[in-house]
Amino acid sequence: MNKVAFSSWNGKIIDNRSPAKGKKKAREEATGAFPATLDGYSYDALMGWNGLVVFDPKADVPALTLAYIAEARKLSCGECSVCMIGIDRVREILLDMRAGKGGAKDLAEIEEIVKGVMVNSKCNFGRATALTPVLDAVKHFKAAFLEAGKGEKDAPGEYRSAVTAPCMEACPATLDIPGYIELIRNNKFKESLDLIRERCILPGVIGRACTHPCEAACVRKDMDGPLAIRLLKRAAADAELREGSALPAPGEEKKEKVAIIGAGPAGLAAAYNLRLMGYGVTIFEALPKAGGMASVGIPDYRLPKDVLNHEIDLIKRMGVDIRLNSKVEALSVADFQKQGYAAVFAAIGAHVGTRIGCKGEEVVSEDVLQGAEFLRGVSLGKKVVPVDKVAIIGGGNVALDCARNCIRLGFKDVEIVYRRSRAEMPGSDQEIEEALHEGVKITYLAAPVEIVRKAGKVTAIECVKMKLGEPDESGRKRPIPVKGSEFTLKTDMVIAATGQKPDLGLLSAKEKGSLATAWGTIKADAASSSTETTRLFAGGDCVTGPATLIEALNAGNKAAKSIAAYLRGEPFVDEPSFEGIDVHQQRDMGFVPPAPVGKVELLDVAERIGSFAEVEGGFDADAAMKEAQRCLRCYRLMVWQ
Amino acid sequence: MAKMIIDGHEIQAKAGATVLEEARRLKIEIPTLCYHKDLSSFGACRLCTVEIKVKGKWRLAASCQTEAEEGLEVRTDTDAVRASRKLAAELLYFRYPETAAVREIAAKLGVDVREAAEESHDCILCGLCTRTCHEIVGANALNFKDRGLGREIEEPKIEFSPAACIGCGSCAYVCPTGFVRMESVNGKRIIWDKVFKMASCEVCGRHFAPVEQLEFISRTTGVPIRSLMTCVSCR
Repeated sequence: MNKVAFSSWNGKIIDNRSPAKGKKKAREEATGAFPATLDGYSYDALMGWNGLVVFDPKADVPALTLAYIAEARKLSCGECSVCMIGIDRVREILLDMRAGKGGAKDLAEIEEIVKGVMVNSKCNFGRATALTPVLDAVKHFKAAFLEAGKGEKDAPGEYRSAVTAPCMEACPATLDIPGYIELIRNNKFKESLDLIRERCILPGVIGRACTHPCEAACVRKDMDGPLAIRLLKRAAADAELREGSALPAPGEEKKEKVAIIGAGPAGLAAAYNLRLMGYGVTIFEALPKAGGMASVGIPDYRLPKDVLNHEIDLIKRMGVDIRLNSKVEALSVADFQKQGYAAVFAAIGAHVGTRIGCKGEEVVSEDVLQGAEFLRGVSLGKKVVPVDKVAIIGGGNVALDCARNCIRLGFKDVEIVYRRSRAEMPGSDQEIEEALHEGVKITYLAAPVEIVRKAGKVTAIECVKMKLGEPDESGRKRPIPVKGSEFTLKTDMVIAATGQKPDLGLLSAKEKGSLATAWGTIKADAASSSTETTRLFAGGDCVTGPATLIEALNAGNKAAKSIAAYLRGEPFVDEPSFEGIDVHQQRDMGFVPPAPVGKVELLDVAERIGSFAEVEGGFDADAAMKEAQRCLRCYRLMVWQ
Repeated sequence: MAKMIIDGHEIQAKAGATVLEEARRLKIEIPTLCYHKDLSSFGACRLCTVEIKVKGKWRLAASCQTEAEEGLEVRTDTDAVRASRKLAAELLYFRYPETAAVREIAAKLGVDVREAAEESHDCILCGLCTRTCHEIVGANALNFKDRGLGREIEEPKIEFSPAACIGCGSCAYVCPTGFVRMESVNGKRIIWDKVFKMASCEVCGRHFAPVEQLEFISRTTGVPIRSLMTCVSCR
């Protein structure tokens, strides 16, 4: 079942049905892309937005075509006439043919309609997904369609299907992005938010602080700029902040309770989803505030805390018990069980800074800080006395957040020292730009060698210039010290923002053996969050190392499903994956009229300094609806039988 | 101003104008069912298709959604354009065979339109009413209910929010098929099955506007409701 009899994938025709035409080379080329089973279901043929692939020459292609059309019909929005009606017209002709009323003339009509829909539909759904593989089927399986009417088989029979989109595939939580954008376009902000919350329970937070890999995958990116997907999510959340709403009521109460350690995005998402299923949930949070890195990592000017607190409040109102200042000192599943918790989800994050690896770092002093520790202090209201000059080591968002905090706290001279160049900087472009506007200096291609102190006070860091060598395992060019290029950077304070790891102090030495990785993270299955300890699950930054809010949040979503499956005594089944299939591929986009990206206002630089007011403005309802109009609805459908 | 060519005519297009507007200025006939000059363009009917030259290649484009720009070349009367418009009209006729506006435009575009047993007034989802309600009136009582992933909607339709409707009747005025009906009986107006009480003019006594509409105008403009109780003829 791994040899291709016919393929039209991406417009490339491979036809191995008659041996005379068959070319061995082609046969091999077409087999790799598709797994032998999809969603645990073996199949003879599949149809997708980009073509038809037949493995078994005896596959019932007309039946598959009808199945495909049935699914495409559910997705065709109906806002332009040709796509919606074209699908129905083709379906009617095929059903007539199946009933024995039809001939070659009808296949020609189908071809004409499909071509018309492909060139004239308003969005990418009509141009690619709606009927593209149907054209391939009627062109290359004419005889099967003409014979279909002679049989008595009912169409379309059992089949499976899955839907994604380039933006959805890029989103760690696979949000239905075209779906929620479409609801905004139709002025249904509340319904849009409900859809977002199915997979993202912190929409106002993520709508502000997400790294939005979806936008990098947006099909419009290389035309006139990607959709402002993050800001549209924020618009839906902001509409709710103005008008108010409640989360859905929890399902029927279940007898089991779950303990969650850590009230960050992973813990909160797991809590919400488990509570929604009716489980009792208690979150144990070490800090005096809930939210994890969203609370004590991301500064107020990027994420006002009333937005976060509102979203946490909604979760609490569902009956989730969040216990603050409740650090779990020793993780014992047995103890939790005694307290009535049937399962434990460890989502403790990664809050401990890693070392820079330079001399003088081992000396503990108040003028050498870890980035995460500094941000946490500022968030928790710790008094910071500004000094004249601070050097921040690192190039990620934590380094930028530290720098922008320092500017606001009244530090006179704020300089980031990063060992690679701007191109390799992991911090987001937007944050780098904003930091530069606010007066942050960035020195590229330099690394500290030693922290210099006089009378116990930091006075400078000895640095060395770097050059870029070959790419390392992270894919970025490796920085190499330039001999003899040492220089002194005078500074009163050093903040090391070069990375974080979890605090595994709650694991005993013995547990560390089975639960900790060599990188100091917790060992857990990426899909099911299960660990080697029964009843213990783990996810988020403590498993992946420092990652994004949305990745942690999705870890919580998955863990909730997995924990629920465990409590019901069922196996955990992950969602079908499009891995290995290039969802960006599309034969022809046609012409898309250009429409510029909607812009939002940024707070004036003068007003930013000395204040923690939110920098970025949001879309109002009209601007959001207008931006939503730009979405090309690139849903990718696959049906297999 | 942008210099562009439509069917061989070199013209100076107005800034921000669409190809459709510029073509109509040249008295070139372009069929539309979902276009209105006072509303944003929507691109629903796909009848206004033209060909434009993109990177040396002629591509089909909805003229209502394509902005005029410097150097643009447009053809409005080629085989490809005619075939594309005809197919769109055929599909509309297939779905709404008894709706006069569709029949008329389909016949004009070469579709074999047969005699209809009776006349119906179908909603063709052109979006003129939703745009009017949102962009002109500002009441937002009409919105598309679209199909989409996980939404299980059999037929897309226009959704009516009674609480938001002020009964102004703009949607009935702009509807090309007569689907949106407005009736007046005994000092009441009925539209989308909602019954509105009509205000009587303080001078002539004529029922001249729904009370809810006057309240809406008062609310959005700040003019006291008392000053709005006189009809246009008596003012």
